Amino acid sequence: MKKLLSLLLVVMLVMSVFAGCAESDATASDVTKEAKLVYLITMDKMDQHWVNVDKGASVMAAGLGLKYKWDAPDVKDNAKQIEAVNNAVADNADLILLAANDPQAISEAVKNAKAKGVKIIYVDSAANEPAIATLSTNNYQAGALAATTMLDELAGAGMTSGKIGIIGVNTATNSTMDRENGFRAVVEAAGYDILTTEYKDGDAAASQESAYGFIVGNEDLVGLYGTNEGSTVGVGNAIKASGKSIIGIGFDKSDAIQGLLNDGSLKAAMAQNPFTMGYLGVAQAYAALNDESTGPAVIDTGVAVLRSNK
Amino acid sequence: MENTQVPVRQKQLRVTSIRGMGQVISVTAALLVMTVIFGIINPSFFSSDNMTNLLRQVVPIMIIGMGQSFVLITGGIDLSIGSVAGMSCMISATLMTAAHMNPILACIITLIAACMVGLVNGLLVSKTKLPAFIATLGTMIIARGIAQLANGNLNTDGIPEAADGFKNLFYYGKTFGLYNPVWIGIILFAIFTIILSKTTTGRHTYAIGSNYEAAKLSGVNVVKAETKVYIFSAFLAGVVGLMLTAQSGMGTMNAGTSYELNAVAASVIGGVSTMGGQGLLIGTVIGSFIWGVLNNGLQFAGAPLALRNLVIGVVVIVSVLIDRVARSGNVDLKKWLKF
Repeated sequence: MKKLLSLLLVVMLVMSVFAGCAESDATASDVTKEAKLVYLITMDKMDQHWVNVDKGASVMAAGLGLKYKWDAPDVKDNAKQIEAVNNAVADNADLILLAANDPQAISEAVKNAKAKGVKIIYVDSAANEPAIATLSTNNYQAGALAATTMLDELAGAGMTSGKIGIIGVNTATNSTMDRENGFRAVVEAAGYDILTTEYKDGDAAASQESAYGFIVGNEDLVGLYGTNEGSTVGVGNAIKASGKSIIGIGFDKSDAIQGLLNDGSLKAAMAQNPFTMGYLGVAQAYAALNDESTGPAVIDTGVAVLRSNK
Repeated sequence: MENTQVPVRQKQLRVTSIRGMGQVISVTAALLVMTVIFGIINPSFFSSDNMTNLLRQVVPIMIIGMGQSFVLITGGIDLSIGSVAGMSCMISATLMTAAHMNPILACIITLIAACMVGLVNGLLVSKTKLPAFIATLGTMIIARGIAQLANGNLNTDGIPEAADGFKNLFYYGKTFGLYNPVWIGIILFAIFTIILSKTTTGRHTYAIGSNYEAAKLSGVNVVKAETKVYIFSAFLAGVVGLMLTAQSGMGTMNAGTSYELNAVAASVIGGVSTMGGQGLLIGTVIGSFIWGVLNNGLQFAGAPLALRNLVIGVVVIVSVLIDRVARSGNVDLKKWLKF
C-alpha cells in the first residue's frame, strides 16, 4: 500500500508538468517549421503596459507568419531577466525584442546572444549594448510634457507656488529617471519646490503610502507626480483618500488609472503607445530577419495626454 | 528549542531512511520523466546550448539550497540567506567599482562579511535560544539593509573591465565545455558532502536535528555545532551573491530576493526534512534540478507564467507528501478517503 501510494504521488508529480504544458500559447503552433522565431522579453508580465506590447507584437507576428513567444520574469529582477534571455537564445530564437530592466546588467547577456547570431531590437527601454533599433517613448520629453500639463492644471486652479512630490520607481531605471528629470527641469524653472523623490519600485500600495506621507507632511503641497503605472495609481489613490484638491499627474494607461481620471483624483496621465512598440517592433524584426532596411535606429513611439473631464 | 519534542522513535529508524535515500530515488525518477517530456514537447530543450545553460541556471539555487539543507537538518531554518546573497552582491560590486579594489580581495572581504552574518545567526540560535525563524528573520532584514547601505541606496555602476576575470570565473566563462559556475557548484558539493557524511561536524548536524537533548547529553558541543551550520549556509549564500554580481556585472540591491525560500523548496523536494535529522545533499541537488528543469522546460513548452508557479508549488507539496508516505509505514488509505 505504501509503495502504491508513493508511486501514485510520483505519477501526480509528473502529471502536474503536463498540466503546465497543456495551456501553451497557441500563437506559436499553426506556423510552419521554417518560420523565424521572434521572442519578446519584457521586464515582467504584471503591468498592462507589457500586455499591450505583447498584443501589438503578436498581431504583427501573426500577420507576417513569424513564430512568436512572449517571456518575462515574474517580478522585475536583473538575474531572472538574464536567464530569460539565455533561455530564448537556447530555444533558437532568431530575434529578441527586449525591454531592458537595467541597461548595464543585461548587456553582457545581449552581447552573448548577438555572438550566437541572435538579432536584438529594444522596445520601451534600451540597454547599453548596441542593437538594430530601439522603439521607445522619448521619456525626457514625455516628462517635460507631464510638467507643462501640471503647470496648466495648477494655473487653472489659481496656484502659482507650493511644493510638489514625486513618486519614482527606482534610481537605476533610465526610462523613469528620464521622466523625472524632464519633469523636474520644467517645474523647477516655473518656481515650484520639488520634495525629495520617494522610490517605490512601481508598487502601487507602497507608492500610495509615500504619496499620502507627502500630503500629510506638507501643508502647502499642490501637486503629486508618478513616473510609472504603479506609482501613478498610488498617487491617485492617496489624493482620493485625502479628499484634498491636489493636482495628480502620472504615467501610463490602465483600468485603474482610467478610473482615477474619471473621478478626478488624477488630472492627467501620459499614455505611452505600448501596442505600437510591439507592433512596429515585430515589423522591424521582420525587416531585419530578411536583411531589409530597418530605418532609423531610434523610433519615438510618442505619448498622448489623457485628461480627466472633472 | 522546539526540537526537544521530537519523538525518540526517530532516532531508531534505519540508516537508509534517516538519510532519506528513498526520496532521492523517487524524485530522481520524476526528474528523468520530466526531462523526457520537455524534450518531446520542444526538441531544442535537449540542445547542448540549453543543457549547458540549464546547468548554469540550477547552480545558484543548488548552492544556496545546500546551505539551507544543513540548517534544516539541525531542525532550524535560515531565512537570511537570500538577503545575504544580495548583501554579498552589493558589497563585492561596491568594492570593485567605488573602491576600485582588486576582485580577489573584494571576494575575500565579501565572503568574510557573509560569514559574519552566519556567525550572528548561529550565536543567536545556539546561545540565546531564539527560534531560528525569528533570529534569521531579523538578520534577513538587516542584511538587506546592509545591501542598500553599501552603495548609498543605489545600485552600483558596471564593474570595471579589470574584473572580467571575475565575471568569467563566476558566470560567463567555460572550462571543459561547462560554464565555470557549474564547476564551482560541483566543488562545493563535494566539499560539503564530505563534511556532512564523513566528519564529526556532519554527525553532530544530524544528531542535533534528530534529538537535541540526546545530542547534548552525549557530549556534542551544541553551540559550536549549531553555529557552524549557520556559517556554512551564510558562506554558500555569499558565493551565490558573487555569482549574481558576475551575472549582472553590477551590484543590485534586490538581488537574491526570496532565494531563502527557493532554497527550502529545493531541499524539501530532495527529501530534506524540515523537522530535522534527515536529508542528503544529493537530494538537494536533485531538488534544485527539478526546480530548474521546471522553470526552463515550461518556458520552452510555452506555458504561461502563472501556470509555472502553480506547477512548482504543487511539486513542492507532492514531494513532501511522497516523503511522508514513504516514511510512515502505516498509512491507512481508507482513513484518508473517509476524511
